[in-house]
Amino acid sequence: MPAPIPRAAAADAVLVDRLATDETGDAMRGLYRLYGGELYGFALNALGDRGAAEEIVQEVFVRAWRHAGRYDPGRAAVRTWLYQIARHAIIDARRRASVRPGLPLHEPSEDADGGTSLEQAMLGWQVAAALERLTPEHRQMVRMAQFRGLTMREIAEHTGLPLGTVKSRTWYALRSLRLVLEEMGVAPS
Amino acid sequence: MSCARVRRDLGGYVLAALEPDERDAVAAHLATCPSCAAEHERLAGLPALLAHADGLEIPAAPPAVEERLLDQVAHERGRRRLAAAAGTPRARRRRRAAGGTARRPLRRGRALAVAAVAGAALGAGVTAFALSDGEPAARPAAGYELVLGGAGGASGRAALQPGRGGTEVHLWVKGLPPGGDAIYEVRCERAGWSAGAGTFRADARGRAYVVLTTAARLGEYERIRVVQGPDSSRAVLTGELN
Repeated sequence: MPAPIPRAAAADAVLVDRLATDETGDAMRGLYRLYGGELYGFALNALGDRGAAEEIVQEVFVRAWRHAGRYDPGRAAVRTWLYQIARHAIIDARRRASVRPGLPLHEPSEDADGGTSLEQAMLGWQVAAALERLTPEHRQMVRMAQFRGLTMREIAEHTGLPLGTVKSRTWYALRSLRLVLEEMGVAPS
Repeated sequence: MSCARVRRDLGGYVLAALEPDERDAVAAHLATCPSCAAEHERLAGLPALLAHADGLEIPAAPPAVEERLLDQVAHERGRRRLAAAAGTPRARRRRRAAGGTARRPLRRGRALAVAAVAGAALGAGVTAFALSDGEPAARPAAGYELVLGGAGGASGRAALQPGRGGTEVHLWVKGLPPGGDAIYEVRCERAGWSAGAGTFRADARGRAYVVLTTAARLGEYERIRVVQGPDSSRAVLTGELN
């Protein structure tokens, strides 16, 4: 099975470029629909509060709109840029919550800003997003082997697929995942 | 073991999902085949990365955030345009220093008055804003924004936009009793006449943002009321259009 054609990162950069001048809202809507879900997941996971996470996501895209002119596609992918904005917004929200103890946002962990854990969470959500870009068949192989700890033989029994199919699908799935991650700027070491 | 066979098993090998005999055969081949070893090298870092994504399911992007976001950007864009029309930043600063305002009412004759404004945080100003480019239309068809006030600390804001066969009402409310089961109803009214625009609940923090549609058209009603109670008799918030 061929690897999926990577969605051109350039197309995302064009969306950001259009943000500043687009009066129709289409560029913003397009960007939000591409990245709103994963950024919401990231914020919800970091803050533990749906309302606060929604505010963060809104803030991320508004900041992106305000600073679209400063975005440099040569320095970072759009996703990376949005995650960095989200990371700052989450740190700000945690600081605000720490001086307003009524808000039940997660305690900052490890270092003062939760920086390390936020970096790891950012990585996790980007990898989750990369998995979403695989075909359902490929994603299923990775999930069953990696997250459920099943062997190739167990997956074959579970799915009713021939063992050879399970093995070759898993290999293609990992190759595709590697390509998607490279395109996202998250290459494994 | 052939290279083709090893390649096929490489995914399972990287994810530690092969049987012990298969795993050993692949390992032995990799030790002697630079080409397969290079392919293995490309994939070997993936499990460590995947571990970070364990348990993460990407949720749907909340539609309400999309609406709020587009509203906020349209709103800020409109304010920037007004500010630009009002003069240079320096002129604006001078006016502000002199106690004036940088905003210029678009349609003084139809500017909306505010009734019963509670909660100074939202400000008592009412702006009629144009949603499209260019000069404001002669008729107030583009859109209205009004502040809603009420008793008990609740406050809100409504943006009214002419929609298909009526009005699209964007409503932001805060200061409602948090986390309750109360259902609030939005009504567009004038003396002796009332049309419903829909219902909503407050979130855990006593806030709500909703986009509702009513068949009532701009110009047919003079007041927006948020009501609650078994017979919808209790007005929680009110805002008048003049």
